[in-house]
Order: sequence, then structure tokens, then C-alpha cells
Amino acid sequence: MKGRAEIHEFVQGLLTASGDDGPLADSDSLLFSGRLQSIDAVEIVVFLEENFGIDFAQVGFDKEQIDSVDAICTLTETVTKSN
Amino acid sequence: MSGMATQTGFANAKANGLAEFRLIPRIETFPAVVSFAQTPLGKVALLAVFGLGMRVFIPDLWSVLTLMVPLALITFLPEYRRFVLAISPIAFVVVQTNSDPPLLGLTLAVIASAVFLYWCAMRWPRSRFGQRPVLFLLTGFVALILLARAAAPRSLPYLILWGLVGALASYLWFIAYALTDRNSKPAKELTLELTALRPLWGSTNTPFPKGAAYLRRIEAKNSEQLAIVQLKGLKLLLWAILLKVCQTLWNRFFHQYLLIPTPDQSLAMSVHGTPVALHLRWACQLLAYFELIFTFSIFGHRIIACCRMAGFNALRNTYRPLSSTTIMEFFNRFYYYFKELLVDFFFYPAFLRYWKKHKRLRMVFATFAAAFFGNSLYHLLRDWQFVRDNGLWSDISSYQVLFFYNAFLAAGLCVSQLRKRDSMPAGFVRGRLLPAVGVGFFYCILNVFDADERMFPLIEHLKYLASLFFIHF
Repeated sequence: MKGRAEIHEFVQGLLTASGDDGPLADSDSLLFSGRLQSIDAVEIVVFLEENFGIDFAQVGFDKEQIDSVDAICTLTETVTKSN
Repeated sequence: MSGMATQTGFANAKANGLAEFRLIPRIETFPAVVSFAQTPLGKVALLAVFGLGMRVFIPDLWSVLTLMVPLALITFLPEYRRFVLAISPIAFVVVQTNSDPPLLGLTLAVIASAVFLYWCAMRWPRSRFGQRPVLFLLTGFVALILLARAAAPRSLPYLILWGLVGALASYLWFIAYALTDRNSKPAKELTLELTALRPLWGSTNTPFPKGAAYLRRIEAKNSEQLAIVQLKGLKLLLWAILLKVCQTLWNRFFHQYLLIPTPDQSLAMSVHGTPVALHLRWACQLLAYFELIFTFSIFGHRIIACCRMAGFNALRNTYRPLSSTTIMEFFNRFYYYFKELLVDFFFYPAFLRYWKKHKRLRMVFATFAAAFFGNSLYHLLRDWQFVRDNGLWSDISSYQVLFFYNAFLAAGLCVSQLRKRDSMPAGFVRGRLLPAVGVGFFYCILNVFDADERMFPLIEHLKYLASLFFIHF
């Protein structure tokens, strides 16, 4: 089970790979602010599927669920509890 | 040593200065300007300059005033923003179509149906409709077209059904966004949903900027944020004006002075057996690449500038496309909100459901679902008049060039995304310049198949493409 630190590190890695070396706060918007693109959202989806067993086809997908580290952590906690 | 350090520092400062240079200053970062924009006098000045700027694009003074009055209300009474924005588009529909009562009635019926469907999706999210609302919407729209096609020509059902198809077609993707707004509260946020339903600031058939879920995230929350967003809107409008001036000069120089044909003209001449010289064929393909960027930048900037004036800090529709180093990046930067539509309604649903065990196949399948299937469906549904006048099969077969265009684009996007996983070479030339030239070359070639008029069959476009490389058949 991975936690907030791993999620933060993963998102920071995506930002760095897309040329964004700015600081990342857990509440920062990632997709709606334009810091990450749709293809990066795909990377986040795959990360959550592989590491948290989240099946978005079942729980429903909304970009707001993965728009910040905080939102991702909330999603993983909700799904873990419901399992 | 210290001298060298100073020189280096000077060089860095100079380089930073160049990088920081802005043709239009970042006025939204000047505290004095932001403070002034919050005063009554500042608001009047901002609105006046914006209104003058809009006249460049809308020559009719009355139309500019009908846009500026709601924007003024929002600026001075931001607490009524959602209400003003919700009723303005409906009021415009009533004013514009009151001379045609059936059309007005059908349009209002579509808006009422949209609200009803939205309420159903929010009320019963676990129902079959609530889980796949866009699938139901698109299937229903196709069924409506087939029904209208089956009606006897010029009969009353024919007129009503095709009128309904026309009204619904312009709202289709706006309703789709409303139906997928999972976090909306129907009782509280109906005004925001109505705001996003063909908004005041204008749109194509593609919703700018997406739906109410996005608007909720980017809405200015206080007077300082509103001032900053409006200053950014004014800046973007100035950009649009600047680009329009450049576009006019560009057209005069290349097409009126040098007499370089457009790609459509060049293709037509090749088809009729009188092709222009090879260098002119290449020149017009290259020019068309830049001209498309001009066109999309100008209309996108104008719409987003108005959206920002209304208090929503939306991302630009076109953002530095020439700096793209991959085909995917260009697609994202060139027509952002259309790409978002394809991603939201076609890519994600396919990616999240199918081929989960096969990483590459999963990506390719989802990309084709969006860039080929979604893109083709969007254009087929947009051009419903062609189905009415010529029939469904005739419409589909006339789209052979578009289908090829979409398949070619989808293949390019797949390769681009799969290659993105590898590391990019370093350095300006190998890392940025050459990839950007490669991207430009791809889209120049792709533009050979970008034919809205559908005048010539696919084979003529293929012959024309081959002729660019000295191949004639």
C-alpha cells in the first residue's frame, strides 16, 4: 500500500518530465490549471490501477478526482475503505 | 574571476531579459493596475477598452453592445454573475429567433430537454442512463436523424423533425458536458449549467471552455481575482487583434502580391490537369500550416478573452503550437477544447474499459476511438444538413477524405504517444528545433486531406500528395 508521499513523488515526476520544475503543493491543481495534460492523466490512471487496484470503469472517472495530490489521496482512501 | 562572474551574470540577465520579454506586458501582475481595475473608474475603462477591441471582430455596434451590457453587469455586480450568464444566452435566442416562432419553440424545447436530461442524470447516477449518459444522448441523436430522414419530404413531421435535429445539433456537446458533471448539485447550480449551455462568450459546436464542472473550478472568487482575470482577458483580446493584423498582412503579401494559391486552389488545378509548379505546391502547403494556426488562434483567443471578461480564468484554446516537439503536443496546443472533447467523451471511456492487460494496444485503441471514431462522428453529426439533402449513405461516402485524414492523424498520434515514453534528445537543435520541424512537416502533409468542401474523391488527394514527391500516377 502506497501513501501520500509516493503519490506526491509520482506526480512530481510527471511534472518534471513535462518540463515543469516548479514547487508542488498537495492542493495544487494539476489538470484544470494546465500543468499536466490528458496524456499525463492517463499515467496517473495507470498508476492508480496498478498500485491501488482502482477500476475506474467501476467507480466512474472524473478528472476532478485526480486534479491534485489531495484529491488523489481522497480517492484512494475512499476506494480502499469501500473495498 | 569576478569580472568573468559579472560578465556571466550580465549574459544571464540579458538572456533572462529576452526570455522575460513580452510584446504585451503582463499587466495582471502589476499591483497598481490590478488595484485600479477594481475601482469603478477602472472597471469602466476596462470595459470601454474591451468593447473597442471587440469592434475589430464585430463591426455591428448593436451586437457589441448586447455583449458588453451583460459583461458590465457581471463586472459591477459579480454576485449576480451566474444569474446574468444563465439568462443572457436564452434571452439572445428569444431576440434572434422571435421572427421564426417554430424555430424559437424548438430551440426552447431543446433547452428544456437538456435541463430535464441533466436533472435525470444527477438524480439517478446509478441508473443505466446515469452511468452512460453521453452514449444515450448520441444514440438518441442518431436515431432522431434517421427518423427525420424517414419522414415524407416537406410534410409537417419532416419540418418539425429536421428543425429539432438542427436545434439539438448546436447544443449536442454542451448537453454532453452537462450530463457528465458528476459533482453538480441540480438544485443549487442550475444557473451554472445554463451558463455553459451555448455560453454568452460564444463557441463553435465545441464547447468553449468545456462545461460547468470546469467553469466551477476557474471562476473568480473575489474582486481581486476578477480584476486579474479580466486583465488577462483584455491582454488576450489584444493578442487576437495583433494576430489578425499579421494575418491580413500575411494574406496580402503571399496570396495577393506573390500570388501563391491556397491548397484548395492548387488541388483543383492539379485535378483539372493544369497543376501549378512544384515549389508553389509546397509553398501553399507550408503557408496553409501557418494560416490554420492564425485562424484558430484568432477565433479561440477572442472567445476565451470574453470568457475571462465574464470572470472565468479559462486556458487558451491555442497556446504556442509552434513550440510543439511531438504530434500529440501540437494536437493539444492547437485546438485544446476540441481535443478535450475527444479525450473526455471517447478516449477515456475506451481507455478505462478495454484492453487493460495490454498497455500499448490499450493506448492505440483509445487513441483511435478518439481521433478517428470520435472525430469522424463529430463532423458527421455537425453536417446533418448533408444527410437531410443527400441521404445518410451519400453523406458517409462523401466523407472518405475526412476518414482518411482522421485515420492518418490517429496513426500519427499513436506513434507520438508511444515514442513519448522514450527520452527526448538534449540540446536546442536536436531537442527542440528538429522535432518542431518534423511536427510541422507531418501537419503540412496531413493538410492535403483537410478538405471541408468535399469536392474531390480521396484518390485525387492521394495523387496530389504523391506529386509533391515527384510521383505521378
